[in-house]
Amino acid sequence: MERQGKAQDEWIVGGHRFSSRLLMGTGKFQDAETMVGAVLASGTQIVTVALRRVGRIPQEDDMLGPLQQLKGITLMPNTSGARNASEAIRAARLGRELSGSPFVKVEIHPNPHHLMPDPIETFEAARILAAEGFVVMPYMPADPVLAKRLEDVGCASLMPLGSAIGSGHGLATAEMLRLILRHARIPVIVDAGLRSPSEAAAALEMGCDAVLVNSAVAASGDPIAMAAAFAQAVGAGRVAHRAGLMPRGGGTALATSPLTAFLSVEDA
Amino acid sequence: MTPQMPAWLDPSPWLDGRASTHADVERALRCDEPGPRELAALLSPAAHPFIEVMAQRARALTQRHFGRTISLYAPLYLANHCTSGCAYCGFASDRTQPRRRLKPPEAEKELAMLKEMGFEEVLLLTGERTSHAGFDYLLECVSLAAQRFHAVGIEAFPMTTREYGLLAEAGCSGVTVYQETYDPRQYDRLHRWGPKKDYLGRLEAPARAMEAGMRTVGLGVLLGLSDPGFDAVCLMRHAGHLQRIHWKSGITLSFPRLRPQEGNFTALFPVDEAWLARLVFAFRIVLPDVPLLLSTRERPEFRDGMAGLGISKMSAGSRTTVGGYGGAEPTTEGQFQVSDKRSVPEICAMLRNRGLEPVFKNWDSAFRDASVRGHD
Repeated sequence: MERQGKAQDEWIVGGHRFSSRLLMGTGKFQDAETMVGAVLASGTQIVTVALRRVGRIPQEDDMLGPLQQLKGITLMPNTSGARNASEAIRAARLGRELSGSPFVKVEIHPNPHHLMPDPIETFEAARILAAEGFVVMPYMPADPVLAKRLEDVGCASLMPLGSAIGSGHGLATAEMLRLILRHARIPVIVDAGLRSPSEAAAALEMGCDAVLVNSAVAASGDPIAMAAAFAQAVGAGRVAHRAGLMPRGGGTALATSPLTAFLSVEDA
Repeated sequence: MTPQMPAWLDPSPWLDGRASTHADVERALRCDEPGPRELAALLSPAAHPFIEVMAQRARALTQRHFGRTISLYAPLYLANHCTSGCAYCGFASDRTQPRRRLKPPEAEKELAMLKEMGFEEVLLLTGERTSHAGFDYLLECVSLAAQRFHAVGIEAFPMTTREYGLLAEAGCSGVTVYQETYDPRQYDRLHRWGPKKDYLGRLEAPARAMEAGMRTVGLGVLLGLSDPGFDAVCLMRHAGHLQRIHWKSGITLSFPRLRPQEGNFTALFPVDEAWLARLVFAFRIVLPDVPLLLSTRERPEFRDGMAGLGISKMSAGSRTTVGGYGGAEPTTEGQFQVSDKRSVPEICAMLRNRGLEPVFKNWDSAFRDASVRGHD
């Protein structure tokens, strides 16, 4: 699967092209107006909505209604709240019915307190949903082996966590993310744990294809301004990645007594 | 005979920590992984001057974990029959108030009214198990509620694991069992007769509910019955014990405070608002990701102030009488007096004014269906 579009630095997921590399979550906002304002300010093209917040009949706190009005936004229902594959699969099917979108963010966290994704159930749900034709985006632990396993069963992207949901601990899993990136054939999106735009920039500099943020925007002092800040940071990080960072300093100065003087010139 | 506390409830952090110093409190506030010892320090008299610092911390943590939202739910009293003799309760079997239970069609009417008010989560309440309102009756009411509501919880008598399993299958996802007090001597004195006298039977009920697959278990103590610091530390111990064993279930904590009841029981250890607020802040600091609930027992100004300041979930528009929402002729006395009598739209307007989104639906019945039927 192609990871990057040639023109205009687009990226491709599940056959869909996107230019924005910032995905937005929609929970935790103080009202729908602020949420929509933040979505617009972020320039995002993919927003995720928890099925558990979506009513069958439109209600005042319904998340889906205001988002469906927006142009150029792909909805990605998520299965947040599911404890196992069965629950996630049901939620995914219902989410597709309600949103009309083939995208699904598989999110399975059996423990409702730390919300860490269950690798075994996530794999099982991803396998079944990919076979059903969903564009499967699994929220996953930053595990390079699981990443390949999820790729093998037909996931459209990988969404490893930077750190725990809502923790704001940033890219605590950076080493594992580098391993995932080194071997991934599908887009890698850092999901969860980011607190500041600079961390989002760092993820893009590292080579991640995109980031997803929610708490970092919704729980900030000014969600709309923060959404715009993330958009700029993601853009900067991406440009920096393409430009290529200079090598880390400290390793290239030459010692006055060379260590390789013993090498024979003839053999060189 | 006074029941024995199990070793895992160990209240010693309170016994040692109630005399905490200013420095102990500062240490507790700087601690990365605060535990029962830190909770005790934050509840000690030395922490009183820190209340504003604690409030700020509580607000930041609540926002981080729950966002700028408050979940809303409604209690529905199904019956006030009871065989227990709890000295503090308006439904105790020696109280003279008229007894009744909602017939299933009446319960349906009340449920329909709550749905009309916008609720998606309902909590069904009864007294102790009786022939009028026993397990089969509760099971029937859960089934009725599950047809209309995404989330259905119960607050009733302790049950067997098998009974909890049947309720879960019928669509119940939450069980609330307050221990009332963890102090075994006070417990024994206050629960004068009836099945509720069984301290350990009640203490183990949340674990049985979780074993049966309940998603959420609500714990709490009735503030005013015993030394609240002692009870708070035990409550934290209980939550931790359950989380370690039943890692797939969630915990919620409530902070009911003794209010005037019929029978004129006076709180033995009265808890004032400032102390209650500090208790909520302290729990938010030591358990940052656990939903903390506040009921309409508290006055409007207090509820408004506490929304988002540790508290992440509230009841609204509550009636604590059987038939109170209009589905049947209501009984005259509720289980407790409602202090916040505002309507649901008034509560929503208040929350919005404070920059908080009222959330009615935070769950989906799709998860419930999957656990019964599997994914194919």
